[in-house]
Amino acid sequence: MKFQIPIGPQHPALKEPISLRMTVEGEVIRDADIRLGYNHRGLEKLAEQKTWIQNIYLTERICGICSHSHTTCYVQGVEKLMELEPPKRGLYIRTLVAELERIHSHLLWLGVAGHEAGFDSFFMYTWRDREIVMDILEIITGNRVHYGINTIGGVRRDLDEQQVKRILDSLDILRQRSEYYKHLGTNEPSFVARLAGVGYLSREDAIALCAVGPTLRASGVAMDVRKDDPYAVYDEVPFEVCTADTCDVLGRTVVRIKELFQCYNIIEFLLKNLPAGPVAVRAPRRAKPNEVVSRYEAPRGENIHYIKSNGTDKPERLKVRAPTLGNYAATIQMLKNGFIADVPLIFAAIDPCICCAERAVSLVDARTGQEKIISLNSLKSLSLKLSAGNKRKREAEWPL
Amino acid sequence: MKLGAFIPELLRHLFKKPATVDYPFQKLEVPKDFRGSPYLRPELCIVCRACERDCPAEAIEITAVNEAEKRFRMVIHNDRCIHCAQCVDSCPTEAMLMDTRFEISDYDRHNLKMEWEYVRAVVKPRSEAKTS
Amino acid sequence: MATVKTLIYLVIYPGLLFLFLYSTFVEWYDRKLYARLQNRMGPTHTGRFGLLQPIADFFKLMAKEDIVPERADKKMFSALPAFGLAIVFTAMLLLPLWNYSLDKPSVTSFSGDLIVVLYLLSLPTFIFFLAGWSSTNLFSTIGAARVLTMLFGYEVPLFLAVLSPAVLANSWRLAEIAAFYRQRPALALVNLLGFVIALICVQAKLERTPFDIPHAETEIVGGTFTEYSGKKLAIFRLMMDAEMVVAAGLLATVFLGGFPGGPLFGLLNFIVKTLFVIFFLSLIRATTSRIRVDQVVSFAWKYLAPLAIVQLLIVILVKGLLS
Ligand code: SF4
Ligand code: SF4
Repeated sequence: MKFQIPIGPQHPALKEPISLRMTVEGEVIRDADIRLGYNHRGLEKLAEQKTWIQNIYLTERICGICSHSHTTCYVQGVEKLMELEPPKRGLYIRTLVAELERIHSHLLWLGVAGHEAGFDSFFMYTWRDREIVMDILEIITGNRVHYGINTIGGVRRDLDEQQVKRILDSLDILRQRSEYYKHLGTNEPSFVARLAGVGYLSREDAIALCAVGPTLRASGVAMDVRKDDPYAVYDEVPFEVCTADTCDVLGRTVVRIKELFQCYNIIEFLLKNLPAGPVAVRAPRRAKPNEVVSRYEAPRGENIHYIKSNGTDKPERLKVRAPTLGNYAATIQMLKNGFIADVPLIFAAIDPCICCAERAVSLVDARTGQEKIISLNSLKSLSLKLSAGNKRKREAEWPL
Repeated sequence: MKLGAFIPELLRHLFKKPATVDYPFQKLEVPKDFRGSPYLRPELCIVCRACERDCPAEAIEITAVNEAEKRFRMVIHNDRCIHCAQCVDSCPTEAMLMDTRFEISDYDRHNLKMEWEYVRAVVKPRSEAKTS
Repeated sequence: MATVKTLIYLVIYPGLLFLFLYSTFVEWYDRKLYARLQNRMGPTHTGRFGLLQPIADFFKLMAKEDIVPERADKKMFSALPAFGLAIVFTAMLLLPLWNYSLDKPSVTSFSGDLIVVLYLLSLPTFIFFLAGWSSTNLFSTIGAARVLTMLFGYEVPLFLAVLSPAVLANSWRLAEIAAFYRQRPALALVNLLGFVIALICVQAKLERTPFDIPHAETEIVGGTFTEYSGKKLAIFRLMMDAEMVVAAGLLATVFLGGFPGGPLFGLLNFIVKTLFVIFFLSLIRATTSRIRVDQVVSFAWKYLAPLAIVQLLIVILVKGLLS
């Protein structure tokens, strides 16, 4: 018996709207299809109407979890456009917050993976310990989620001795707890049985389908923007790119846990070598006409911002390529021939952030598989044309 | 791999105090630099409108009540404010500050509005605002 | 006099009222324990220590809108919760809690009631299956299929594990089995392996982690219960709690020597022993992650069933040695 089950756009496993349609035979998935476009935010257009400064806060709100990734990516681009050289201390603090964010994101992910696998105790414990990082972030930036620490030309707040000490103390606890989760995540039989061998993505596929971030690294490809194209102060900081070669969800978990330890080392290094000096330089209000591409290794993978300026105080174009978008193609590959029970895990393993990734409306013709991007006006007339003759059905059916 | 690897940790916490805070009855303290809601010290405002211009949420509204008397009115629409503190950074005279309130929700968005009517101050701005 | 006693037996103790209150208490206990194991608070504010939370939840659900899907088999869809509850309550009446005496069998305590309770406990699983199937929702259908698949896994080991103490006690009557182990407590240790197996199988029967596969919310939304709402869902939830009580009671009777001591002391015994069993059920729930349905079946047949047979062999050996 073959039938299609829809997961999403509203589904308990998905915190954001996206639709996965799976053709299943019994419990086995034969084909998968991802449909986007439930969450169009008009963000890029809005960015064109805001000034460079205002846009920092707009890009921050692209994502709640990697908010610092998006601002840093944007701010780096703008600094390049304005030919600014942020002071070293500012860059150190920026990197510090970036790594703290990576810790909080990875701990969050571990919890979510536990929850998707029905391992709620693991979820509760990781999220309890994630509070430590959240508290540090709140202390040094003034808020838990939207840190607002970046500004064009540096950062907005300085660190004092007390804060440095507090962070170093918390690092010890975090190290200890992460050791424990590493032990647990690779030892609890029912959990490992759910992760190992699930969502296989071979090295070749990962490269061919342009996977990014931990998903790519778990397939044995050591690619990391922080190493390949160092930004901020990553060229001064010693750290390793973590990989795993099991190519499955277990590998993705291991990569993330390994990265946690790298984060702790990086933060320790940054705090011990924090240079003195100012944290920001003054930024002009306008940028010369130019264009720039800025790359950033977000916790989920490579984040790309393209910014074009036209000499005014507003960008002419801001294009965001969030890491999740890079992983969609690979997800379909991973879902094939898996079990329904593994869908939430596989999908969660790319750490999807759907609202970051949603941009355009594309229509897929179900019969021919043809895809076309369509403008709003023709979409309107099309929908009018399609719905003209139809009586409204009381019992709507899935358009499958 | 071992069976029940989690049990010791779980049992250890069975009789411990829960990590959660009984929120509405017990409150956490926020750090001193917490970004709550912005407020104005009207005696310092020189009406340069830097805050109005830089506010990403367009939450600040400055209108002239009486040009001749140099009376102005500032409204902070707290329902629109995203608590980013850019206004504080932009202000050249430190007239804008953040408090640490975080329980500001209300049934009516108009209750969140804050208003000041004042005469423009004559204060020397800092030589340089933190950001443009 | 006998009629009054029967009425009390049916309606108050250990029938409807007691089972209802005790089920909600057990739900509270399970939730609180689960929360404390996870370093959380659990229900806190409704009643003392949140004791009334499950009752509040029950009445809240009762007051909610009750939707029957248009495509569903309406009669079946509506009748199933009541059926399920009735079955579980009947099973409760058969536990040797009050109305039994060893020498004269009665309607609620007779030779072979062990088998009847086991079958009455199997029926809810079919009720879940039918509930999922008759709602005709895709998620429910998958849930229903999973219910049945799991049933094939745990049912045989459960029967084997529960029957081996009966074999040793040489009786099919719950009251007699309990009395047998009360007289020779040392022999109860022989069944330790069976107790563990039965615990795991009961966990699967109650569809709790790691076996909450038929209604795994992150995979198939509400699973079998996706279309249920309002009163019917409330009754289903009550039924699952009551089922937990009955299953724990059954294990306590068979493995832990029953509940001696007349109405009052017996009640105390019942509460202590069932809570002891449920403690393990909660601990399993907190310790494990959900496994896949194919893993359940292979786990059950690779480990549980052979171990249950080993238990049976041990029992037969011990029995041979004793005689
Ligand atoms: S805190 Fe931010 S959003 Fe709020 S008024 Fe100030 S600049 Fe505007
Ligand atoms: S920036 Fe400061 S001084 Fe200027 S208008 Fe705003 S509050 Fe007044």
